[in-house]
Amino acid sequence: MKRIICCRFGDKFTQWHVDNLKYMIDTHSGLEYDTFEVIEENLYGNWYNKFQMYDRFRDGQNLYFDLDVVIYNKLPNLWREKFTLLDDKWWRPDFGHTPLNSSIVSWTGDVSHIWEKFWPYADVYMRKYNKGSDEFYYKEIEYNTFDPVCPKINTTSPHTAMGIVTLGQLHHLMEEGWTGWWSKYFIS
Amino acid sequence: MLKICTVYYGDKYSPDYVGKLFDSIRRNSSIPFQSICVSDNPNVKADVVLPYNYNSPVKRHWHKLKFFSPNFAYQNPGDDIIVMDIDQVITNNVDELIGHPVEDGELITYGVWWNSEELIEHGLALETNGGFYKFKSGTLSYVWDDFITSPEYWQMKFFNDEVVHYRYYGEQNYVNWKVFWEAKDKVIKTPEKWIGKYHGDDFLKNIKLNKKYFEKFGDYMILDDVNPDIKIIHMLGPDNTIHNTGWVKDYWK
Repeated sequence: MKRIICCRFGDKFTQWHVDNLKYMIDTHSGLEYDTFEVIEENLYGNWYNKFQMYDRFRDGQNLYFDLDVVIYNKLPNLWREKFTLLDDKWWRPDFGHTPLNSSIVSWTGDVSHIWEKFWPYADVYMRKYNKGSDEFYYKEIEYNTFDPVCPKINTTSPHTAMGIVTLGQLHHLMEEGWTGWWSKYFIS
Repeated sequence: MLKICTVYYGDKYSPDYVGKLFDSIRRNSSIPFQSICVSDNPNVKADVVLPYNYNSPVKRHWHKLKFFSPNFAYQNPGDDIIVMDIDQVITNNVDELIGHPVEDGELITYGVWWNSEELIEHGLALETNGGFYKFKSGTLSYVWDDFITSPEYWQMKFFNDEVVHYRYYGEQNYVNWKVFWEAKDKVIKTPEKWIGKYHGDDFLKNIKLNKKYFEKFGDYMILDDVNPDIKIIHMLGPDNTIHNTGWVKDYWK
């Protein structure tokens, strides 16, 4: 069982973003999978909602993507046995509170220990790591990291050696009225 | 292509402000342009209406800065971009204003005559005026690129620094800082006598402004009618609206 996962809650992202991610995966990535799962339950009102996937999906091969990525070429094999996420140090050496980035996450089988560690003390952890859930992984969880695979978008041209970029804080590039090299890879 | 761009949101102004601004520019100019508005009201009258996103970290009139990005509003290299506030009344031919020549890396903006002597003496008068920016597409893109890395910081900085008196004010201060002080790009001001400033409901302030315009240019800004040297009247201040003002009816339509 190969499972692609994404997470949508609140008003920031819409069904268009979910459809767009699936479209980019199906059209450009070369990834093959069995099911496409969307987590929509808004337990925390922030990106800690993503942690629900460690509770829900305790078997098979799992590959999670944020909705604010651009997939524009074939991707390398991103399916991983051990819990793996992005390490941004190679393109973001002054990484601030954490070098980790959970825009892409993969694991096989059961990593529910992440959820079990988090949810009983959710309020404590969300206060302690209030800049985002990636710091929780950095400080509290054992992890592996991908090879350099997903940098931040360069608005002038795509990274030719890569097939996926994250928008980082530039979510607006997905809004109507914004165009660039990335536009042709989105669902119309 | 010339693109004239505005932002309209909320309920301070009625939606017809947008159409009346663009219609009155077209009536008073021979220069063709595309009108663009970022708005939460899809029914405003413009050639292109782009959505105002309330879920964005970008707030209120700071959306104007998006037009500094060449990736926004379907810009093409070489386009001339004008960004205007909507609370302005066109009172004369504006060919010289909207057709003002501009080169890469230059910012054309209103020259204003109403800064106090005290402000000027202390070097606090801004070189830029948020009512009007003109530039070549993408040549001042750092204005947007730098802003969007920390929108929360910039949107409150000038209020927190007590430079402006209202939360989220300071967009023109930010542009002034980025273009004039930091990048040291060329800021070109239009002739001061082209612009009028009016307070919709403050009789005493308007008398003072009329007096100041007279002292500077030898004639009144507005008596029975608007001074023929003036091309645009900008309604300034947080509570000013055009529709409260009597003399505009011949111009604002």
